[in-house]
Amino acid sequence: MNINDYISSGIVESYVLGLADEAERTEFESMSAKHDEVRAARDLFELSLEKQALVGAVMPPANVKAAIFATVTQTGASVADDNIADQGLEKSTAASAGSTGSSSKSFSQSADVATPARVISTSGWAKYLAAASVLLLVGSTILNFYLFNQYKAYSERYVNLLASQTQLANNNRALQTSVDTYRNTIAALSDPKMSIIKMVGTKVPNNGSPDPASMATIYWNKQSAEVYLMVNNLPKATSGKQYQLWAIVKGKPVSAGVFDINPADSVLKMNNMPAAEAFAVTLETTGGSESPKGAMYVLGAI
Amino acid sequence: MGSTITYSEHQLVSLLKQRDNKAFEYLYDNYSGALYNIVMQILGDVDLANDVLQEVFVNIWRKIESYDSVKGRLFTWMLNITRNAAIDVLRSKSYQNSQKNLSISDQAEFDSGGKTSQLNVDNIGVRKVLEKLKSEQRVLIELAYFKGYTHEEIAEIESIPLGTVKTRIRSALIQLREHLK
Repeated sequence: MNINDYISSGIVESYVLGLADEAERTEFESMSAKHDEVRAARDLFELSLEKQALVGAVMPPANVKAAIFATVTQTGASVADDNIADQGLEKSTAASAGSTGSSSKSFSQSADVATPARVISTSGWAKYLAAASVLLLVGSTILNFYLFNQYKAYSERYVNLLASQTQLANNNRALQTSVDTYRNTIAALSDPKMSIIKMVGTKVPNNGSPDPASMATIYWNKQSAEVYLMVNNLPKATSGKQYQLWAIVKGKPVSAGVFDINPADSVLKMNNMPAAEAFAVTLETTGGSESPKGAMYVLGAI
Repeated sequence: MGSTITYSEHQLVSLLKQRDNKAFEYLYDNYSGALYNIVMQILGDVDLANDVLQEVFVNIWRKIESYDSVKGRLFTWMLNITRNAAIDVLRSKSYQNSQKNLSISDQAEFDSGGKTSQLNVDNIGVRKVLEKLKSEQRVLIELAYFKGYTHEEIAEIESIPLGTVKTRIRSALIQLREHLK
């Protein structure tokens, strides 16, 4: 086989990623020993794989590192260094002597074990691993349920947070709207073309106002026809009733809209009026009337 | 982390063979993230992945003598240890059983939960590159690399001839190399 064909057959990637079978691996290893090109292609792929993997690194939690180093410093000591292995032996002798077991037995154990120092650690390891794997086996089912419940709890909390977030956003939007309204009102009121008409209870003909102390103010821009109303003093409307503002145009009342007395709306924008001689407020059935039927509370001429 | 030393791969390996703690810490700090990613891609479960990563690094420490630089880079060796460990867990009875237990309790909800945790790692490494392959090739790499099935098993699962499995995997791998560059 041509060496370039071999390299570009996918065997390099297959070998590096651990997907090659036994025969392919053996063949690849002998090929890369023989041919520099094969080895170079392998190095190149390994490097690009490593580079990609490092870009995609996801750091594990810190406790994993701690657990690894705790295990490694134990085993490392006993495997690497005979002196430390001896120390370990002393410890194990001391431990078994300390326990209720007979001391002669513990001596024979340590004698058996003393010759191959490595065996101690590996058998210790095997025990540890066996114990760990049993724990893992038992634990994994519980763990999965636990995780599943945790996941459910978190998604519930997430939904709640989302709801309160939406609520806050709505509140914010409402506030923004009322701020905008106030801003526009103030801008309109500060217009120099705005004329101010005081409507009072005492101006109502024949002392007809049910409450002569009543007072309201009209801000009227003749140029833009905008009409704003400020309620200074009006009794609370009885139920089923609503106040209605009228403009008197050429002797005839024209409705400028109904309103409620709401402390939050200090200034109300009413219907535009291009012309008027006077303004008046009457109490009408809720929704207003076509022509005034109820008692007149205040009147103000221009 | 603190340490600012960098080792050449040769230095690192020889220090590791002498059981040098600092070198091992360097190894962990530099490679645990990449290896953790592959475990997460295979298992998609944080706690299992933590256990596997722990086992992997303890094994790297213990088996460093068996690393042979003639056969490849240190990272490749570690990557293969990692992938094998994760796949062992994936194909273990206890893992299969735990998946079954879950499917009894609440399949649908867990599925969506599992998926989101996997999405986080989907966009990196080999899996990102996989997106660029044809779906028939992607499935095969997914089964072979991330699920650890043999070619024979894949041939059976996908009901395609063994020869086709091999050629498709090979051609997928060749493209993978191009995309990794």
